[in-house]
Amino acid sequence: MAAIPAWLTLLIAPFIVLNVVIGLVTYVTLLERKFAARMQSRIGPYRVGPHGLLQPIADALKLMMKEDVVPTAADRRIYNLAPIVFLIPCMLIFATIPFAPGLGVADVNIGILFFLAVSAMEIVGLFMAGWGSNNKYALLSAMRAVNQIISYDLPFIFSALVPVLLAGSLKMSDIAAVQQGSLLKWFIFYPVIGQLAFIMFIVSTLAAENRVPFDILEAESELVAGFRVEYSGMKFALIQLGEYAHMIGSSFLGALLFLGAWSGPGPEYLGPIWFLLKAMFIFLVVTWIRWSFVRIRVDQILALSWKALLPATLGLLITTAVVVVWRTSGF
Amino acid sequence: MASDARPRTVAPPAHYEATEITTIVRAVLRAMGATLKNLFRKPVTVHYPDKERQYPSRYRGLLALTYDKETGEENCIGCRLCEYVCPPAVIKVEMLKSEKRNYAKTFTLELYACEFCELCVQVCPTDAIVMMKSFDMPTADRREMLLDKDRLHVIGLEYEQSWATGNRLRDMQTPPKAPAPAHAKPAAAPAATPEATGV
Amino acid sequence: MLDVNNTTRVEMDWSGPERLQMNMGPQHPSAHGVFRAILGLQGETVVDVDAVIGYLHRCHEKLSETLTYAQYPSIASKTDYVAAMTSEFAYVLAAEEIGKFEVPKRAQYLRVIVAELQRIASHLLWLGTWCMDMGGALGGGATIFLYCIREREDILDLFESLVGARLLYGFFQVGGVRYDIPDGWAEQCRSTIDRINSRIDEYEQMLEDNAFFLARTKGVGVVSRELAQDVGISGPLLRGSGINWDLRRAVPYSSYQDFDFRVPVETDGDCYARYRVRMAEFRQAISITRQALDKLPEGPISSRPALKSVAQIRIPKGEAYARVEGPRGEVGTYMISDGSAKPYRMKWRGASFSNLAILPHIIPGHKVADVVAIMGSVDPVFGEVDR
Repeated sequence: MAAIPAWLTLLIAPFIVLNVVIGLVTYVTLLERKFAARMQSRIGPYRVGPHGLLQPIADALKLMMKEDVVPTAADRRIYNLAPIVFLIPCMLIFATIPFAPGLGVADVNIGILFFLAVSAMEIVGLFMAGWGSNNKYALLSAMRAVNQIISYDLPFIFSALVPVLLAGSLKMSDIAAVQQGSLLKWFIFYPVIGQLAFIMFIVSTLAAENRVPFDILEAESELVAGFRVEYSGMKFALIQLGEYAHMIGSSFLGALLFLGAWSGPGPEYLGPIWFLLKAMFIFLVVTWIRWSFVRIRVDQILALSWKALLPATLGLLITTAVVVVWRTSGF
Repeated sequence: MASDARPRTVAPPAHYEATEITTIVRAVLRAMGATLKNLFRKPVTVHYPDKERQYPSRYRGLLALTYDKETGEENCIGCRLCEYVCPPAVIKVEMLKSEKRNYAKTFTLELYACEFCELCVQVCPTDAIVMMKSFDMPTADRREMLLDKDRLHVIGLEYEQSWATGNRLRDMQTPPKAPAPAHAKPAAAPAATPEATGV
Repeated sequence: MLDVNNTTRVEMDWSGPERLQMNMGPQHPSAHGVFRAILGLQGETVVDVDAVIGYLHRCHEKLSETLTYAQYPSIASKTDYVAAMTSEFAYVLAAEEIGKFEVPKRAQYLRVIVAELQRIASHLLWLGTWCMDMGGALGGGATIFLYCIREREDILDLFESLVGARLLYGFFQVGGVRYDIPDGWAEQCRSTIDRINSRIDEYEQMLEDNAFFLARTKGVGVVSRELAQDVGISGPLLRGSGINWDLRRAVPYSSYQDFDFRVPVETDGDCYARYRVRMAEFRQAISITRQALDKLPEGPISSRPALKSVAQIRIPKGEAYARVEGPRGEVGTYMISDGSAKPYRMKWRGASFSNLAILPHIIPGHKVADVVAIMGSVDPVFGEVDR
C-alpha cells in the first residue's frame, strides 16, 4: 500500500467506487423488477440468461445501441447537457460514504453536509431536462420537480440531522462508529426518536427520489414520462443511472445513519457486506412502498411536506437536541 | 373554446382530510400487507412457448377443412353456405359439380380478417369446416394467412380438432320437438344439404 | 392533513393570457383507447377541456344494416369490446321484441349468468386501469392492475370453455343462446366467483381506507344529482350520484325479476362514490350469478330452430327499443325492421358515449392529475363511444 503515491489513490478510489456503483445500479434494477414481479404474481425478467440474470446487461446494450434522437424544437445545448448535469451529483454523493472503516473515497468531516448538499443539486439537471426538451409534459414535470424537491429537501435534511445530533458529529465514519458493538446502539433502536426519525427519513427519501407515491414528476399516466419524455438511448440511460444511483446512495445513507452501517456479526472484513445488505433492505422497503400505493396529487404532496412533515421533523430535531443536551450535561 | 373565456363559477374540489395519523398508518400497513401476501403466492405467469397451453374443448382457433374418416374423401361439398354467412366475408368458395356429389373447386379463407365467430362451422351441413385447438400461426407476411383449400386441409390434419362441428352445434341449439333426442340429428342434416347426395 | 380545507365557491377568471394548451391523447398512456382531451391549463389547474372523439369509428350502425339477424350478434360484441356480452344482449333483445319471440327460461338464465360474469370482468378491468391511471404503471397502480387482470383471466377462461373465445363471444342469437354450458362448467364457475369474491376483499384492503387513495378520489369530480340527470349519464355514475336507477330493477328483462339483488347507490357523486358503487356491484353480480346457477332450469336453449343459413331469421315489420344495464350503463338498440332478414335501420345507444358528456362539466377546476382520475372513474370504452 505504501508504494502507491497519494495522488494515484485519489484517482483509483473514485474509479473503483464509480464502477462498483454502476454495476450495483444495473443489478439493483433487476432486483427491483424481480421483487415487484413477485409482488404482482408475476415472474419478472426470465428469458435473458438463467432466471433473467443477464437482463440488465441486455437493457444496457439496447440503450447504448439506440438511435440518439434530439427533438427539432429542443434547446440543443441544454438538452444535451442535462443528463450529465443530473448524473454528476447523483454519483458525487458516494464520495463521502465510508463503506467500511477507512474504506471510502473521502471521509471528510462534513460528510453528511456534503451528501445533503450535493443530492439537492440534481434538481438543476432535472429542470434543464424539462426545459430543454421543449415539451409541455416535460415542462410541467420540471415545474413539479422544482416544487417537490425544494419542499422535501428540508424534511430530508432535518430527519438526517437527528442521528447527527445523537452521534455528535457530521463525519460519516464517526456516526457509524458510535453505532458499533451492539444491536441496541443502532439509532433506529434509540427510544422513540430513532423510529420516528427513520420513518420520516424513509418518507422524505421516497419524495426526494421521486418514487411512488410521490413520483408526480414522472407521472406517466398524466405526464407520460415527465422530464425525460423526449430522451432516448444513452441519454435516457444516463438519467436512469442517475436516479438509481441516487436511490442507492440514499439507501446507504439510511443504513449508515440508522442501521449501524457495517456493524454486524462475523469478522471485520464482512463489514461492507453487512452495509450492502442493510442498504438493500432499505431499498427493498422503498420498493415495497412504491409498488403498494397510488400516487398523490401535486398540491397534496406539497401540503404534506409543508404542513405535516416539515413541522414534524423540525419538532423532532429540537426534541433530539434537548434530549442530547439533557443526557450529556444532565441538567 | 372561445366560449369559455368568461368567468365561470366552479366549486373547487372538496378535499379529503385524513385527520387521524393512526388511520393513515393502519391503512398504509394494510396495503403493504396485501402486497406482502401476494409476494408469497405462486406467480400465475405461464411460460407460454415452453409450456403447451391446455385448450378447452370448445376452443375457437384456426379454421380447417376435414376429410371423411372412413373414405378419406373431402367433406366439403362446395355449397357456399359458409361464404354467405360469414360476417366479414372472408370465405370464397366455388362449387365443382360432379356426378355422385359436389366438391369445392376452390376454397379460400382470409384468416387475417377472420372474426372466429364460428358461424361457418355452425351452418356447415357436412361438418367440413371446423376449428382447431390452436392459434399458432405467427407470420411476418400477411399473404401466408390467405389460406387455400390444400392449406386448410393440412391445418386440419396438423392440429387437434375442437369439439364443435356443424351438426353438434345445431343439435345443441335445436329445441326438442319430440321427446326423443335421437332424431334431432337426422332432422337437421338432410334439411341443410340440398341435392347433395352424400357419400 | 393532506390538504387545505377550502370548500367555498370561488369566481375564477380564465380569460387570462397565461394558459397552456395541452393535448391529452389520442395517444396517451391514460387515454383509455383513443380519446383526445384538449386541456387549457393555468399552472397545474385545468380551466378548460375540449373532448374530441371519433378516432375509432367503424360505422357499426351502417354495418348492421348490411348484416342479417343471424350474423350481426357476433359483430355486435365489437362495439363495447370490454363487455362484449352486453352489446350482443341489447341487439338480440330488440330483435326478439319486434318478432315477439319467446326465449326459453334456460336461455334467459344463461344470458343472465354471462351478463353478470361479464360485468365482473369489465369492472375488474375498470378497477385495474383506473388504479393504474392514479398509481402509475411503475407503482402501486400496476400492482392492482395485475391483480385485477389475474382475476379477469379466470372469467375469460370460463367464457373460453363456454364459447371458445376470450374477447368477442357471439354467444347470443335471436331466440336464445348459441351454446349450452358444458359439463362441469357450473362448478368451475362457482369456484371462480368464490375466489374472486375473496380477492375483492383484498383490493378493498389495499384501497378502501388507504389515505393516498382517498386523497385522490374523495371530493374529486363531483357529479351532482341534478347534473347527472341533465346530462343523461347512466350506470354506476348515475348511481354514484344518488339516483336509484338500474334497468335490471326498473324494467326487468331476461328474468331479472327472479333474482334477489340490491342496487348499490351512493350519494356523494365523487370518484370515491363511483368506486364504492362498482365495488358493491361486484358482490351483487357474484350473488346473481350464484342464484342463476342454482336455479338454472332444464330445457332448450333456443326457441328458434338452429341456424342453418344466413337469412334464416326474419322479423316482421316493426320497431323497438331494447336496453340492458351494461357494466357502464344503459346499452340500447333502436331497431326498425322492414320484414326482411336485415334491420332497416339500427341505432346504438352506447353507455360510454353519454357518460363522456359529463367530462366538460366536472373537469374544469381540477388539477391535471385529477383529469386522469375522473376519466378513469367514468370508465369509457372507446369502441362503444365511437362505434
